[in-house]
Amino acid sequence: MNDMTRPDGIDPPYLYTDYRSTRLRAPREPLLALPQGALDRPGPLVPAGFVRDGDNDLTTRGRAAPLGEKMVVSGRLLDEAGRPLRRSLVEVWQANASGRYAHPGDQHDAPLDPNFVGTGRTLTDDDGWYRFVTIKPGAYPWQNHAFAWRPQHIHFSLLGNAPVQRLVTQMYFPGDPLLAIDPVYNSVPDVKARERMVCSLALETGIEGIALGYRFDIVLAGAQATPREP
Amino acid sequence: MPARTPSQTVGPFFHEALRWKDGARVSLATAGRHIVLTGTLFDGAGAPVADALVETWQLGPDGQAPRGATAGQPHGFGRVQTGQDGAFRIETSMPGGALPCIEVTLLARGLLKALRTRVYLAPETEVRGDPQLQALQGSPRIATLVARAQGADEFRWDVRLQGDGETVFFAP
Repeated sequence: MNDMTRPDGIDPPYLYTDYRSTRLRAPREPLLALPQGALDRPGPLVPAGFVRDGDNDLTTRGRAAPLGEKMVVSGRLLDEAGRPLRRSLVEVWQANASGRYAHPGDQHDAPLDPNFVGTGRTLTDDDGWYRFVTIKPGAYPWQNHAFAWRPQHIHFSLLGNAPVQRLVTQMYFPGDPLLAIDPVYNSVPDVKARERMVCSLALETGIEGIALGYRFDIVLAGAQATPREP
Repeated sequence: MPARTPSQTVGPFFHEALRWKDGARVSLATAGRHIVLTGTLFDGAGAPVADALVETWQLGPDGQAPRGATAGQPHGFGRVQTGQDGAFRIETSMPGGALPCIEVTLLARGLLKALRTRVYLAPETEVRGDPQLQALQGSPRIATLVARAQGADEFRWDVRLQGDGETVFFAP
C-alpha cells in the first residue's frame, strides 16, 4: 500500500480489492506529506441555526411512525486527547427497516416506507454529546460479490473543528453475523479499531417501553487547533 | 487516551443527508472578487465519478481563516455533489494570501477514506515556489494542483483519481 502514512492500522487503505469500487478509484501515486499541522487549524464553524429542533428525530417526518424497531443512538464526540468537541456537526443517513434507502439510486427490491426518509443532523452539546431517535436499519444485498449483504449500519459524517478531523464512518450493531463477510468493515486493518465502529447496547439510554438504546462514541484525529469559543 | 474511530466509505446514498441548501455558494464575511470553480472527477478508467461529494475550505479575501457564519452557513466552506457527468461547480470569492488556493476534500463510493488535495488559483510558475510542495520540485505532477483560468473569473480544475495525470493527493 502506498498510503499507510498513519501506521496505526486504524484507517483502511485506499486500495482494498475485496471492495470492488476501490479498484478504479484508489490513487496509485505516493501521497504528498504536508508539513506537520498544515491541516490542523480551525475549520468551518457551523452556526446553531443550521440545525433545527427535531432534525435529530428521524421518526417524525411522516404522517405516522415509520416501521421498524425504534431506537435511540447517543454518544460523545471526542478528540484523541479525550476532549469533547462542542457544537460540532453530526449528520446521519441510513436504510429503512427493510434495508432500502429513500434514494433514486437504490434498486433493492424492498419496500420504501412513506414515513421514513432516513436522514438527520444535530450539533453536539457542551460536553460533546449527540443523540438521534430513529429505527434500526435493515441489512441489504449489494453487487460487490455473490451473496454480498451489507450488515446493518448507520452512516455518520463528522465535520470536526479542523480539516484534519473531518471523518465519515459507519456505525454497526453488536452481534451482526454479516460483519464477518463485509469488505467495507474488514478493510480496517486493526481488529480492535474495527470493533470501535460497533455500538453497544445501553438500554438505559433508550426510552422506557418505547425505544432501544445504543451507545456510540466517536473519536476524531488531532487536534492541536484550539477549541473555539461559540 | 481514546483511540480514533476508523474511516468508512460515504457510499452511494449520501445525497439527501449531505445536501446543503447553499453549499455551492461559499459565503464569507467580506465578499471579494467573485469567482467560479468548475471541474470534473475521473476514475482510473477515465469514466466520470458521478457520485462524489466535493468539499472546499479556504481563506477569506483578507487572507484570514474565516471564523463566522451568515444565514445559517459556515463561512469559507463549500459542499457540492458531482452530477451524472462527474462535474461540479462552486461559486466563491478569490482567497487571499500570497498564493491563493482552496483546500479540497473528496468523498465517494469506493473511497474508504477521504482524499485531500488543493487547487491553486495562481500561475504554475508561482505554485512551484510553494515550500509545502518541495517534495514535488521539478515534477510535472505539480500541474495537477493548478486551475486553468477560463475567461475573467472562471477557473477550471479536473481531478483524476488514478492513472495518467493522477492528481496529487495529500497524506492524512
